[in-house]
Amino acid sequence: MKWLWRSLAVFVGLIFIYSGAIKILDPIGFAGDIDNYHLVPWSVSAPLSFYLPWLEVFCGLALAFRRLYTGALSILIALILTFIGATLAARFRGIDITCGCFGHASKNSSFTSHLALDLLLLAGTVFLWREHSRNFTSVRGVVPLPFAAETK
Amino acid sequence: MIAQLTRQSLILLGLALLPAVGQAVYYRDRISWQSPVAPGEGVTVSRAQSWGAAALWVDARPEEQFETAHVPGAVLLNEDRWNELLPQLLAAWSPEKRLVVYCSSQSCGTSREVARRLRTDAGLQNVFVLVGGWEAWRDAQK
Repeated sequence: MKWLWRSLAVFVGLIFIYSGAIKILDPIGFAGDIDNYHLVPWSVSAPLSFYLPWLEVFCGLALAFRRLYTGALSILIALILTFIGATLAARFRGIDITCGCFGHASKNSSFTSHLALDLLLLAGTVFLWREHSRNFTSVRGVVPLPFAAETK
Repeated sequence: MIAQLTRQSLILLGLALLPAVGQAVYYRDRISWQSPVAPGEGVTVSRAQSWGAAALWVDARPEEQFETAHVPGAVLLNEDRWNELLPQLLAAWSPEKRLVVYCSSQSCGTSREVARRLRTDAGLQNVFVLVGGWEAWRDAQK
């Protein structure tokens, strides 16, 4: 089973590397995508458009090469949850948005397909987190707080 | 695990900051940090109106909104029907024209995207984004 988790980590990592790289090539377009959500002012959208893609790439690399793995997983889960929240908020407020998850390459995708992709990525990262926590527990003999209840 | 998570997260957050700052410095003259409209790209209603016949207004809103009301003489060009509508705009265009792209309001991003595509995809110059969009133009007529 170990190869399966490793493959999943590499696959999810590659998706984030691709997603980040596309946005790195067009930071101004990505700033516009963030701005379209109307959640933060432009003075925040613009710096974020330079920072978030690199964060995705580094976390994707960390996942694929199993370095800084715990940190990468936690950041990616936080990013996906934030993005799902922002997408749903925009939807409920009736804002017509382009997703921005793959930069302008994804602007013709539907809201449903964006959400489905995000949920799949969330599921993948959460599975990886759970598996990593189990291994961490068995190696260190420590029960991580979020999973303490399961081991009773 | 919490300590490891915190340490690793901080390292990754810091690592990402380095190239991001470098790239932001590289792009400093091409992006406005205070407004979505880049320096030199935006034009106010009064300035665009002062161009008179040299201004070619481009309505980047959905067709329904265009049909309800639009700037007199404006040409419809939105991303949904880009390939279909672009020839219509090019027929009205001439090298001395200044294109003024607008969408519904200051916060909409469609005009910026259409302006960008007019420059990069269609290779046109003198493309401007109307500051405040259709709302600003309508308010200026009162």
